Amino acid sequence: MGSQKSEGGSRNKNRRLGLIVLGCMLACSLSLVLAENAWKQALPGYQFDFRRDHASHPDYKIEWWYYTGNLAAKDGHRFGYQLTFFRVGVDKQPQNPSRWAVRDLFMAHLAVTDIDGKKFKYAEKLNRAGIGWAGAETNVYRVWNEDWEAKQDDQQRTLLNAYDENFGIEFALEPGKTPIIHGVNGVSQKGAQPGNASHYYSQTRMPTRGAITIDGQRFEVSGDSWMDHEFGTSFLEKEQKGWDWLALQLDDGTDLMLYQFRRQDGSLDTHTSGTIIDATRKAEKIAATDFVLEPGNKWRSPNTDAAYPTQWKVKIPSHNLDLEINATLENQELITNGSTGVSYWEGAIVVSGKNNNRTVKGRGYLEMTGYAGAAMGAVFE
Amino acid sequence: MRLFRQFIFRQLLNERLRSATTIAGIALGIAVVIAIQLTNASSVRGFEAAIEAVSGKTSLEITGAGLGLDEMQLNQLGWLRQYGFVSPLIEGDAQVRFADYKKETLRILGVDILRDRALRDYKLQAEAQQQFKPTEFLALIADPHSIILTEKFANAHALQVGSQCEIIFGDKAEKITVRGLLKNEGAARALDGNFALMDIAAAQWAFNRLGRIDRVDVRLRDTVNIDEAEKIIRQKLPQGLHVQRPARRGRQVEKMLAAFHFNLTALSYIALLVGLFLIYNTVSISVITRREEIGTLRALGVTRKNILGLFAAEAAALSLPGCALGLALGRLLSFGAIKLTATTVNSLYIAVAAAPPSLSLQHVLIAFGIGLPLSLLAATMPALEASRVSPTAAMRSNDRLESRFRLHKISFIAPLIFLALAWVLAQLKPVGSLPLFGYAAALFIVVGAALIVPVVLFVLTRMSKKLLTRIFKIEGQLANANLAGAIPRLSISVAALAISLSMMVAIAVMIGSFRTTVDYWIGQTLQADLYLRPATRANITVDASVSPEVQSIIARHPAVAAIDRFRNFDLPYEDSLITLGAGDFEVLLNYGHLQFKQPRNNEQARAAMRAAIGTNNVLVSESFAIKRNKNIGDEVKLNTPKGEASFRVTGIYYDYSSDRGIVVLDRGTFAKYWGEQLPTSLTIYLREGASHDQTRTEILTALGDKYQVLIYTNAALRQEVLRIFDSTFAITYGLEVIAIFVAILGVASTLLTLILERSKEIAMLRLIGTDKKQIRKMVVIEAALIGGVSQSIGLVVGILLSLVLIYVINVQSFGWTIQFHLPVLFLVQSSILILLATALSGIYPAARAAKLSATEQVAEE
Repeated sequence: MGSQKSEGGSRNKNRRLGLIVLGCMLACSLSLVLAENAWKQALPGYQFDFRRDHASHPDYKIEWWYYTGNLAAKDGHRFGYQLTFFRVGVDKQPQNPSRWAVRDLFMAHLAVTDIDGKKFKYAEKLNRAGIGWAGAETNVYRVWNEDWEAKQDDQQRTLLNAYDENFGIEFALEPGKTPIIHGVNGVSQKGAQPGNASHYYSQTRMPTRGAITIDGQRFEVSGDSWMDHEFGTSFLEKEQKGWDWLALQLDDGTDLMLYQFRRQDGSLDTHTSGTIIDATRKAEKIAATDFVLEPGNKWRSPNTDAAYPTQWKVKIPSHNLDLEINATLENQELITNGSTGVSYWEGAIVVSGKNNNRTVKGRGYLEMTGYAGAAMGAVFE
Repeated sequence: MRLFRQFIFRQLLNERLRSATTIAGIALGIAVVIAIQLTNASSVRGFEAAIEAVSGKTSLEITGAGLGLDEMQLNQLGWLRQYGFVSPLIEGDAQVRFADYKKETLRILGVDILRDRALRDYKLQAEAQQQFKPTEFLALIADPHSIILTEKFANAHALQVGSQCEIIFGDKAEKITVRGLLKNEGAARALDGNFALMDIAAAQWAFNRLGRIDRVDVRLRDTVNIDEAEKIIRQKLPQGLHVQRPARRGRQVEKMLAAFHFNLTALSYIALLVGLFLIYNTVSISVITRREEIGTLRALGVTRKNILGLFAAEAAALSLPGCALGLALGRLLSFGAIKLTATTVNSLYIAVAAAPPSLSLQHVLIAFGIGLPLSLLAATMPALEASRVSPTAAMRSNDRLESRFRLHKISFIAPLIFLALAWVLAQLKPVGSLPLFGYAAALFIVVGAALIVPVVLFVLTRMSKKLLTRIFKIEGQLANANLAGAIPRLSISVAALAISLSMMVAIAVMIGSFRTTVDYWIGQTLQADLYLRPATRANITVDASVSPEVQSIIARHPAVAAIDRFRNFDLPYEDSLITLGAGDFEVLLNYGHLQFKQPRNNEQARAAMRAAIGTNNVLVSESFAIKRNKNIGDEVKLNTPKGEASFRVTGIYYDYSSDRGIVVLDRGTFAKYWGEQLPTSLTIYLREGASHDQTRTEILTALGDKYQVLIYTNAALRQEVLRIFDSTFAITYGLEVIAIFVAILGVASTLLTLILERSKEIAMLRLIGTDKKQIRKMVVIEAALIGGVSQSIGLVVGILLSLVLIYVINVQSFGWTIQFHLPVLFLVQSSILILLATALSGIYPAARAAKLSATEQVAEE
């Protein structure tokens, strides 16, 4: 993934960097043995058409669909969830006519946080398309990995369905606000080279209804989800150790996405940035110099020994925004040796603070990578 | 105990030679039994070990109707996930061809490594520090020309990561790069390291199995009960799919090999039987020569029971070291036996590296549990006789056991009763597919023959006196008199030798008949000009197919008139495996020829074949018909991908290529159930006047280096069939030679005893002017006479036994009709050899006899 080069001028940042990097890793390691086929590059001038752009774009090497959300049952019992589908092109035109020949790899992560029950569960999947055990359709929006699935029904609703052995989700998501297209002229530029970029949009507030099952107990829930979809090709720089990423939905209608790169030497990367979307759907980029992300108390993972800050302070003076962020549960770490092989923290958070001097509350998701194991950039190298 | 030490043990030590031969006899008998046990176990065990190593943590496997399953059927199996981990795979044998053109077979597993590591452990050499991530592992083998070998295999053939090697998949040679090496753990242990891993896509492509999966392995979650899961999965599976435990494949193969193994086992017991005769012989002689001493002991107050015990202890003293030696020797012999049987097992049943034999408690139990009681049983008669010696009778000097044989009615009647019983037993049906009664009949014939030996000896010595005197002068007359005077003792040795010889005759007659029958059958059935199969197809169970490219190259050759594309594969049937074949009946009708058992009439048989084109009529091989009890008009139910389907038998044809049972369908019918499948062999008919050899060469040239096939001309295939046939029976002869060797040992030891016993007579002969040379000649003549008589009895009894073998045992275990045929030349040759061998066995006793000092012996008197 990339980060964007400063001379590129674009400040738009992708989210879900983690999986992009992981995708790159896979793509690269497999590319070593497979002839590099020409994947389509993300070039300026791309016209999004949401009658088809939710669906898959197999001409591009990397693509992902990412859902997170905060939900509650009628009695107030709170939950968070994450469902990610990921496609990484490996060999655009395999020489082997077998259906099992690996054109793409499909990964998926599912996590449910039972905030009030203080439980965190996650599961992962990794498949080749094979005879259709995983895939993403190109004409209609449907992406699946075994029996986990995200698809659009005829009422423009997105249906999510994913069950593991002891937990699962089953949601219907209304489109909510219109999609926000990141970047300039249809591309989110990541590097100096033309084409080192991606096509990227988000649906930041999708009214969600459905059910969460956890340890045999089923909860009817409702709330809001955040969705990201990106396709293209991008790469992380090797000095980049990891990142901290936030998606916030405030109760005054403001949505906020922020992230920062942490470099190997401990300094912050200049490609750090964000987007703020006000209640009227007006989106504005936030530059690295515009905000401060300040880590608070740390939680040490007993599994990976990584110390993740689970408290943050966010200050955006230009927008008179002053927020405090707290994890709903300390342990929301995913160890994904069965798919991406990377450990990261991704979980539901609560937000409180002041927006233009008015007290606000909110919910959101926090992603932290590069705290466990090797630096993301180095792994990618 | 002291009595035993002084009375028996000292004697055994003094009679070292006799004791040694007896122990050797028992040892050989036990050795052969153990060797065959080990050999039989090794082929099944080799197969099972491979299944076990390859199946890893698999609890259940989903299979199709013989040909794996259509991969798209996997989409109906998504629900399997709730029970555990699911991994589809391709499994096949390929050959690595080295620069020196040597080939080595590899078992290749094609898996989706992203899933398969939940079921099997693969430890790569490169993973010494850290296990590869799934995607890293996949990256190693995603390229279709990649393979992962075992460290063991790579070391043995100087390969390493990055080496390129040539691997033949079916009929295609491919250049494949070694991407990794597996440590000797988990699946890599299969087949002694001849195991390789590929990506499922690469394996499908290489083996010409696009669109197909050989099976789906399932590892149940730890919380799932396997019995319940198996039951539920069985109910839920769509038609044509089956669930089973991996071990079941081992049992099917075991079942398939049961008849072959049973017959080897039965044969091995012959050698033991002969060994037991030796025990009987030794104890008898020991009783005979020591009547006076027994009498003394009895007079001194030793009870009858004690005497019985003493001789039983003698048998045990001989048998125990024999059994122990036999156990060790058996393991040694098994290496040879495995080599001898491997060809048969591999060419007729399953291609598998036999597991190295290892002795277990079971074998120790067999050796001592069978050897010891039977030895005691063999010693019972003479020991009982010893216990009956009355103190007074024995004390009388020169009171010897009845040495003159007298004819009683019972001497005639007893053998006849046994032979009659044998005849009755021969009529009975088999137990399962095992001809137990057939073997019982053979045993009764053997016992009957043993009982009739004294009568034969009596009559022969009477009749041959003049003849011998005329040929061998005085020595002949003496030899005759000696034999006539020792009939009871000799009978045992003669019976032992005669029985071994009869077995050999029987087997020779059976094999001779079989070979003649097969030869005739080949002549009738092999009508085509050329036969083609993929190079890797060692036997009919190897699923290697003929590529479309190869087919079209052959079809384009101007000399080719017609091609019968034959497809066959293993199909589970009841609890075993049969061969299902699909041929082009149109071509077979126009060009080929099957030799039908039913309908006998050629026109009717052709009509039956014509009626089977495109219909559910099938032809079955004779062994299928006999073993599965099917007749014309009967229904055969087969598992097909469309569920169980019913077929009607309309023809039974002779087939000696396999005893597994073959069901043949027309290609059209086959395709309706199994879909279009590549053939596994081609039968090629050439135009009139085309040269077989030239066409073969031209086709091979056209195929080039890329396609590796074996093409036999008609003449070469006939030779090949007979070669396999002969190698199949190599073990049979091996076992027989051992039995005869043991029997000849018996003859030598009997002669020696007789000579020692007659030492006074011999001394007298020397005193009255007989020279050493004459004595030697006399003894050698005696030996040869014993051989001659034994071989004569052996010939007669052997032919009787061969009838049982051919018409009962063989039909019941293999389902083959064999035409009786006497291999006269072989029998004459072997008779002469036996005569020579027994005469030779007389040389040592003769030398001992000649050395006896005349004066010493007489002085003693």
